Formats: sequence, structure tokens, C-alpha cells
Amino acid sequence: MDQILFALLNGTIYGLLLFMVSAGLTLIFGMMGVLNFAHASFYMLGAYFAYTLEPFVGFWFAILLSPIVVMGLGVCVERFILRRVHAFGHAHELLVTFGLAVVIAELVKMVYGNFAVDYRVPAELSFAAFTLSGLDYPIYRLFMGGVAVTMFITIYLLLTRTRVGIVVRSAIYRPQTVEALGHNVPLVFMGVFGIGAGLAGLAGAVAGAFYTTNPNMALELGVMVFVVVVVGGLGSMGGAMAASLLIGITNSLAVGSDLRAVDVLSIVGLGDWAEKSGGLLTISMSSLAATLPFFIMLLVLMLRPSGLMGEKE
Amino acid sequence: MAIRNLLRGTAAVALVCCAGAAFAEPLKIGLVETLSGPQASTGLFYRNGVIYGIGKINAEGGFGGEPVELLEYDNQGGPVGAADRVRAAISDGARIIIQGSSSAVAGQITEDVRKYNLRNKGNEVLYINVGGAAMELTGAKCHEYHFRMTPNADIIVNALLDGMKENGALGENVYAINQNYSWGVDVQNSTLASAERLGFTVVEETLHEVNKIQDFSPYVARIKESGADTVITGNWSNDLLLLMKSAGGAGLDARFGTAFLDQPGNIGNAGAIAEGHFVATSFNPEANAEKSKAFVEDYKSVIGHYPTYVEPQGVFGMMLLKEALKAVEPTEDGLKAADLVVALENATVETPMGHMSMRAEDHQARLPMVVQKVSRDAVYKADESEFGFVPVKLVSAEDAEQPVQDSCKM
Repeated sequence: MDQILFALLNGTIYGLLLFMVSAGLTLIFGMMGVLNFAHASFYMLGAYFAYTLEPFVGFWFAILLSPIVVMGLGVCVERFILRRVHAFGHAHELLVTFGLAVVIAELVKMVYGNFAVDYRVPAELSFAAFTLSGLDYPIYRLFMGGVAVTMFITIYLLLTRTRVGIVVRSAIYRPQTVEALGHNVPLVFMGVFGIGAGLAGLAGAVAGAFYTTNPNMALELGVMVFVVVVVGGLGSMGGAMAASLLIGITNSLAVGSDLRAVDVLSIVGLGDWAEKSGGLLTISMSSLAATLPFFIMLLVLMLRPSGLMGEKE
Repeated sequence: MAIRNLLRGTAAVALVCCAGAAFAEPLKIGLVETLSGPQASTGLFYRNGVIYGIGKINAEGGFGGEPVELLEYDNQGGPVGAADRVRAAISDGARIIIQGSSSAVAGQITEDVRKYNLRNKGNEVLYINVGGAAMELTGAKCHEYHFRMTPNADIIVNALLDGMKENGALGENVYAINQNYSWGVDVQNSTLASAERLGFTVVEETLHEVNKIQDFSPYVARIKESGADTVITGNWSNDLLLLMKSAGGAGLDARFGTAFLDQPGNIGNAGAIAEGHFVATSFNPEANAEKSKAFVEDYKSVIGHYPTYVEPQGVFGMMLLKEALKAVEPTEDGLKAADLVVALENATVETPMGHMSMRAEDHQARLPMVVQKVSRDAVYKADESEFGFVPVKLVSAEDAEQPVQDSCKM
């Protein structure tokens, strides 16, 4: 029982981290109709900026300031790069963000070196929140989860309860109409892009200390974030949350499970045959854990192409 | 237009050069390494070691009175890129191919070289493997023109386990967690094979995806559940660092035995969590301190930092190559690969760690291993942290040697 509780908790926290990064991506996609390949790069930059700022302003200010710097960068990217290519269509925007991701990764390598940097959870936060069947549960994991939940509630309230939120939501679905009503749509786009980047930066600043801050972190998380956004439904905040948790928890449970395809097949009497054929049939779930998200994505795309909660086709 | 003119100019100059030197063409060595992309960090370290080693070869007169020429190719981290770059290197005149990072790439290159040699009798090329540790390279895939200059999985795991056992750090319950590809599977098999000899039980083994996992806490929960007191892992890069950090954060009381703990960034990032963990490699500057000091200082004067991680094994490989090249006379067409094969099989060199030689049966190097422990007492600190690696056992080349695999048919 403890094991399952532990797995659920681990999966939830990991899912919440995925949500922190994918929230901005799904917002930006919903609005501009473009998958931002550089989004995970903002996550990486958030971690590196926080690492750079930490010696000067301390950990807490570092994780507050770093997302603001990343947000500024996001605003500049939208204003000076994306807006220029916007007129040439989606393919060009996609290519620009892809190029940007490569450039950022190389710049980070040039400035900070090829290996993980010494960005760690501060000593005052490295203690156990509680102990469950002999395993400590780091308080920092709970902190990460808390940040993500706060973020979700804030964005949700902002989008549904404020006038700004109404403008943003309508700009996502009917930009021309909103513009005709006298709202400055490019400004809205720029703002949303900046905030989306900033959210990824915050996730990076918080998670970079717990996991590792290295030049490949954008690549490592980037793929999973795309999966989350596709499964959740492009542009849907609630969908991103649901998909993040789904992927986090299935992954965590799968790692702890020794179930093999053989075991399932032996229920219908095909056990011996499956054991003999070997290959994929005899691999345990735990070895396949990291591929499960892609399997989920495949299923969702087949059964419900717009994603779990997606409204746009 | 300007570029085209420039190219034309260079080509003309090149033609003039080559016309002049047609009779004493220098030996060309192609380094087909991962120089860009996520795994470039490791590839660049192999490159450092090889550049230093080739510098030494040239300082002693090169080959046939001409300095050896090092050509560099970027395999972009994958077998596909490597296959393409090996072709390019051979057509550029490289007689020796060198590569180290990734057993997967090594598997591709060794096959390509074997096939090329089958088709080009009398004009063979050599593949010098300075890093790929998977068993199959000197097992089912072994051939006459492949030479592994570094320890294989069996050598590393056995040295590591012996060293840990002697220091009372090897418990009775061992958990083997590895990456799911040739190298990881080999480490797992070697660990299982040693269980009886060293008197421990492998309570569970796990193979997981390579460098795709962010959150290792479910795996740590599994290790805890299994009741293991020692974790043996061949993981490298993020897979090792994240596993270790996750274990540290969960307060898991288990000792880690690793193969790549010395990768730069690991100790600086893991900090005190890594203290007391073990690693087995082919070099430690504190072992044979006098000879090692001379080597590391000289290395620093050339490359700019003390040799770390995979750099020493790259250098040692080049040292053996240097000895072998001395024993080969260039023919009219330059280096005859078959001569170098014989010379390499008979070459012996004294590295700062001891004797190194090449086993003729499967072309696996015999070389000493150093089992080391992360400690504050280390003379050479890692990543500017307060920790470094202290040698706990120097295993001689004879003791480290593992039997030839039956699957190897030269």
C-alpha cells in the first residue's frame, strides 16, 4: 500500500512539473497556432539564469527574478523575431522557433560549458517532509508541486475571472473580431508569449535545482512536453493539467510494476506461446515505462485527435 | 562568388602541395567522434586525449619521418552519421579510424571497417576503439582490424566489485540498474556472473531507457523495497546523476558502484550525496603518484587542464599506437595495415598506471584498473568542489584481465 501511495505521490509531483512547462506552450499554441520549439529552451534558460543569480541575490530571489528575465527575453523573441516572420505563415514560424532552440542550446554550452552546473537545492530546503516505509520524501518535491498548483489556479482565475482573461481568450479564437473591437491584439500576443516563456522559466528555475541544470535539459523535457500538449488538447489549460498528471502517474506506476504482456496473455491461455516468442512480450512494464507516454499519445490521437480537452481541430 | 574563388585558390594550393609530397605522404588518422549535439561533451574529451597522444607521436618523429596528420569528423552522436563520416575519412586517405564515445556508434564503425576491408584486400584500414566498452566489440563482432584500447564491461565490473569487496563496501544484497542497450546489459550480466564468486545476491535487476528519464524516484522506491545495500550501475551522464540525487534525496542508505562517476559535473552537482561511492576507471592521478604527476602536469601544459574522465584512456590508447608505429616500416604506399596489426599485437607500453599491452586473440587491451572512492581527502579535487577521487585499489593488468569470449572468431 505504501508503495502505491509513494508511486502516486511521485507521479503527481512529476506530472505537476510537466504541467508547469507545458502550460505556457499550450497557451502560446492556442493563441498563435504555432508549436513553439524553443519553449523548452526557456525552461533551460530559467534554470541557468537562476543559477547565475543565486550567488548575488540568494535562492529565493533568484527563482523570482529568473522567470522575469526569461519573460523579457520571450517578449523580445515575439516582438523582434516571430512578428516579422508571422506574415510568411506557420511553416516559417515553426522553423524560426526550431532554429532558436538550437541557437540557445549552443549559446548555453558556450557560456556555461558542456556539463551539468552546480545548481542545487539550498541547504535549508534539503530535508525530509515525512518518511514512508523507510524512504524520506524530500520537502522540495512538495514545494515544486505547490508552485505548480499555485500557478494553475492563478492562470485559471486570470483567464476566466478577469477582463484581461476575456480579451486573451477571445483573441485566441477570433483575433480579427477582437481587433475590430479596438483591442491591441499584437500586444496581447506579445504579452501571452512573454508570460508563457516566463512560466517555463519559473519551472526551470525551480526544477533545475532539484534535477540537473545541463545543456541537454531542454531536449530531455522538450519531447515530453510536446506529448503533454498533444494529449491534453492544443490550447487547453485544463487538458494540459490532466495530461501531465496522467503521464506522470502512469509512468511512476509502470516503473514499479513487473507486469509483462505474457502475464496478460496467460489469462487467455496463450502464456506458453508468448514465453516462447519472447521479444516485446516478455519485457516487463518497468523497462517500457519511458515509452508509455508515447503510447498514450498514439491512443489519444487515434481515438480523439483533438486531445483530451481540446476544442480546436 | 568570393567563396568560390577562395575555394578554387585553396584547391590549387592543395594540388601544388600534394604534387610535391606525393612520394612521402604522411599517415592520416581519422578521428570520427561526436563533436556536436547532446553527447558532444564526452566526444570532445576523447578528442583532447587523442590530440595529446598524436602530439606525442609527432614529437618522436611521427611515422616514416613525417608527422602524422589528424583529420577530425563529426559523427553527430549516431551510427548513421558515423557510417557516413567513416566513408568520408577513408576517401580522404585515413588509414586509421579512431572513435570512443558510445558503444552503439562503435558497433557501426567496426562493422563498416570490417566490410571495407573485405572488399579492399591489401588496402585495409584499422579501427582503434578508445571507448566503446560493450562486450560484443571483442566478442561476436570482433575482427582482425578492430583494437579496443580501453577496458570492457567485464573488466570494469570485476575490478569495481573486487575493490569494493576488499574495502568492505560491497554488501550482500546488490541491485543492478542499467541503461537498456548493449553496454548496460553487459554490466548487468557481468554483475550477475560475479555474484557467486564474491558471495552476494543480486536482489533485482532493472534496465531502463537511455537518458530519457527525468524523475528517478520510482526507481529509488524499488531499490528501497528490494532491500539492497549496494547499487551497481553502468549509467552515465544524466542517468547516473539523477539516480544518485534521487537516492540521496530519499535518504536511501545504499552504496553506489559505478563506471562513470568521474564525468565532469557529477561531483560538483551531487556534492556530499556522492561521498563514499565508488568508480573503477583506468587512471587516477594519486595512484603511482610520481609518474602520474609528471603525466598530468605535462597534459595540463598541452591541453589546459588535468586529464579527467575519458581523457587518460584516450592518451593511453595513443601511447600503445605510438609503440606499434615505431615497429612498422612504411611501404611505398604508406602504412600497410596488416603490419600495424602485428605490431599492435606485440606492443607493450608503460603507462603511469603500469603495463599495457594488446591481447592477440580478441584485440582487447590488457591494462591496469584503479578502483576509487569519492572522498574529501583527495589531492586532485573534482569540479572545484571539496571532493575528489581517492584510489583504494590498483588492479594490475594481469589481475584485471578477463577471459576471451567464445563468440570471438577472428
